[in-house]
Amino acid sequence: MGNQLNEKTPLRALDISASTQAPSIGLVIARAGVGKTAILVQFALDNMLQGNKVLHVAIGAGVEKTRTWYADLLRTINGEDMEKIPGVMKQRMIMTFQESSFSKALLAERFDDLVDQDIFSPDCLIIDDYDFENCSRSDLEELIAFIKERNLQMAWFSATSHRGDDRKSASGVPAPCNEIEDLFNNVLLISPAEKEITLDILKSDSSRVKVGTSLNLDPSTLLIKKG
Amino acid sequence: MNKDLSKVRNIGISAHIDSGKTTLTERILFYTNRIHAIHEVRGKDGVGATMDSMELERERGITIQSAATHCTWKDIDINIIDTPGHVDFTVEVERALRVLDGAVLILDSVAGVQSQSITVNRQMTRYNVPRIAFINKCDRTGANPYKVTGMLRDKLDLNAHLVQMPIGLEANLQGMVDLILMKAVYFDGDNGETIRMEEIPAEMVREASERREALLEEVSMYSEELMEALLEGRDNIDPAIIYSAIRRGTIDLEFTPVMMGSAYKNKGVQLLLEAVDIFLPSPTDVTNMALDLNKGEEEFAVSNNPEDPLIMLAFKLEDGRYGQLTYVRTYQGELHKGDTVINSRTGKKVRVGRLCRMHADEMEEIEDCGSGDIVALFGIECASGDTFTAEGMNVSMTSMHVPEPVISLAIVPADNKSQINMSKALNRFTKEDPTFKTFVDHETGETIISGMGELHLEVYIERMKREYQAEVQVGAPQVAYRETISQRADFNYTHKKQTGGSGQFGRVAGFMEPLEEGDYEFVDKIVGGSIPREFISSCDKGFHKSMVKGALCGAPIVGVRCTVNDGAFHAVDSSDVAFQLAAAGAFREGYLKASPTIMEPIMKVAVEGPSEFQGPVMGSINQRRGMIIGTNEDGSYSVIEAEVPLSEMFGYSTTLRSLTQGKAEFTMEFANFKPVPKSVGDELIKKYEEERKNG
Repeated sequence: MGNQLNEKTPLRALDISASTQAPSIGLVIARAGVGKTAILVQFALDNMLQGNKVLHVAIGAGVEKTRTWYADLLRTINGEDMEKIPGVMKQRMIMTFQESSFSKALLAERFDDLVDQDIFSPDCLIIDDYDFENCSRSDLEELIAFIKERNLQMAWFSATSHRGDDRKSASGVPAPCNEIEDLFNNVLLISPAEKEITLDILKSDSSRVKVGTSLNLDPSTLLIKKG
Repeated sequence: MNKDLSKVRNIGISAHIDSGKTTLTERILFYTNRIHAIHEVRGKDGVGATMDSMELERERGITIQSAATHCTWKDIDINIIDTPGHVDFTVEVERALRVLDGAVLILDSVAGVQSQSITVNRQMTRYNVPRIAFINKCDRTGANPYKVTGMLRDKLDLNAHLVQMPIGLEANLQGMVDLILMKAVYFDGDNGETIRMEEIPAEMVREASERREALLEEVSMYSEELMEALLEGRDNIDPAIIYSAIRRGTIDLEFTPVMMGSAYKNKGVQLLLEAVDIFLPSPTDVTNMALDLNKGEEEFAVSNNPEDPLIMLAFKLEDGRYGQLTYVRTYQGELHKGDTVINSRTGKKVRVGRLCRMHADEMEEIEDCGSGDIVALFGIECASGDTFTAEGMNVSMTSMHVPEPVISLAIVPADNKSQINMSKALNRFTKEDPTFKTFVDHETGETIISGMGELHLEVYIERMKREYQAEVQVGAPQVAYRETISQRADFNYTHKKQTGGSGQFGRVAGFMEPLEEGDYEFVDKIVGGSIPREFISSCDKGFHKSMVKGALCGAPIVGVRCTVNDGAFHAVDSSDVAFQLAAAGAFREGYLKASPTIMEPIMKVAVEGPSEFQGPVMGSINQRRGMIIGTNEDGSYSVIEAEVPLSEMFGYSTTLRSLTQGKAEFTMEFANFKPVPKSVGDELIKKYEEERKNG
């Protein structure tokens, strides 16, 4: 390992590593099918390649599908086969839950099972497709408090916004996260444009990133476009 | 048998263990009048289900071999292969899928998509087998066909949609609503043999209409006629249009109709038979490919035409009370009693004496069979997977994917009689099952059998005892390790023996390097005749022989490319043997410099059970050097997926039972070979050295 992802990943431009907060809590928000999971998996892969351990919690998706995301993205971005990078597979664990059964209490129980038995000690947590529409502010506060208690370096959530819902926060974070944006240090918004995808940095705790920056991504690879 | 191929269905029934395949098949045979009484798998009446024709299967309640059977539903001829559910017998499932045109994937209404369903679904996808899903055991507490349909979409990525909905569930399961005919269907009589169609219960009409609408919208993609009818807002759409749309989507592998019922409670089976007729393809609806051996194995589509020369594939052998039975599927042409056919592997002519249609243990002699049919032949000497053709053809059906064995054990016959019977049995099993292998270890003189898992080998040992009266003592299971190299290394070795009599001389120089694809490759880069042409093949042989046993732990070596680029010879003393020995010496020299490592088989393990045991189960996997890939939690039930070295999995079923009060189960299949950790490697090397010292 000691490897890293292709220079053109938006992650490199964002320089998440220059985060001033610990843990850094991030949110990727977009409409369905635009590329939230792909961006989260990029963050996860970069962490894994640098030797950090990632716990990927996928809500409503299967283990096999999530594994495929990682394998495909690494092949697309770096041209590498995941199975052939020594040790990298051990840096990741996937937990999938049905939407109805996921809760902070259940995650905490599973998380502690892993750590207490010395099976896996995560540095980074990914929670893909968290149900922001049906959770209360206190649910999320509890979850974030749990992340802080467990000394994780970073956690990233993804949220789905909807076409017909125009509600937005002052900094432009769309519903359903418009009223809880203060709980996150980093917020990225993905929007599809005609032949590209735009990634807007709505909030950042990185000393090297300017809020309001917009990156143009290639829709097939989600890498930064030339120019 | 129908000459009209559109009225023939060759189907398989696949599922996770204990999902009720055998019971369902039994009911199908009852409703199609092939059997006259219903027996249960673990029957209280001591008879056992008809498809489990081997004594052992009846005792264990699992189906080991795919027994082929034929039945007729209305005017449709159905050939059914009942396939084993346990992962250890996966090759049997794969072989069955190879010869089938369609399949029924059975799911448990409570557990839904289980690990084996995923494996079987993957296999069906590999062989492009269109499928219908049947959610069985809807009478069980906790049955939820809607949830299972969701799992089919999420976990198996199938475009699965219900074409029925249940009337009542669990103990109150009464029947189903047919969403195409919009009728309630009930199953009356002692064995559910009388179908009663009624109006849909008033309280279900609205939900049924909504579900039908969603179904029609989905399948309208496969039929312009249906799309038009929907756009026009027609109320009474001809069911034939809907059937045709679903059939198109199913055959194109873009849609999976979901049926439901309870085979045990005799509900829904006849509707499934209807669906097999309506939705699954006939032999002419699918394209099967063969290889033209005269044109460098060029692929071509078989014609299905009975007028064309015969092509058929032997997909299963059985040694029954009537002698050797060979199950064949014909792909084109016709076969008549007394015909002579050619085995394209051996080139030998074979005369077909008797043809039979099989019904588990009973058989019906027939005079001929046509294209697309599945029948059994008597007295044909062949191996499983052989292709038979008419004279003058040189064709083979595409070869089947056969995994390498991962486990072996030594067997010693108890007495002389057992020795003879054991040889007979092994000869038969290796022909029947390409994943079961046997050889004699020349150093110890022991007979070694190898296969895909502990249960796989156990079943053959049991069969030796029961079917061949061969009592054998069994050694501890051994993991099939491999050795390989991890870097390039040069060699330059001279073999010289020139003291009196005829001498031996040969020098071989070059290098060895890791080979990504394949076990062994030889490259000749000799220029200027430093090794004469006639001895180049001797070098190849010398290297190849050295691959049999590695220097670290005595395991076979894989993944090596040997290149020779220099050498020397002697006009009198050089010979084939001298160069073979020189190459073997060169291999030894290079091998130790090429960072050799020991590789072990890694198994993909899935443990399923109540979520409350997830912690201890993960701990048990971790203790076994396992790497947990992920966990999947669905309410109170969870699945843990992991990769664990095979050597650590012995006795795991006992551990799992005691950890989970017997409530969890696991399946495993071979994933890949990976280098062993240093501590394990050192241990293996030490053990091998001790064995060699002690002779």
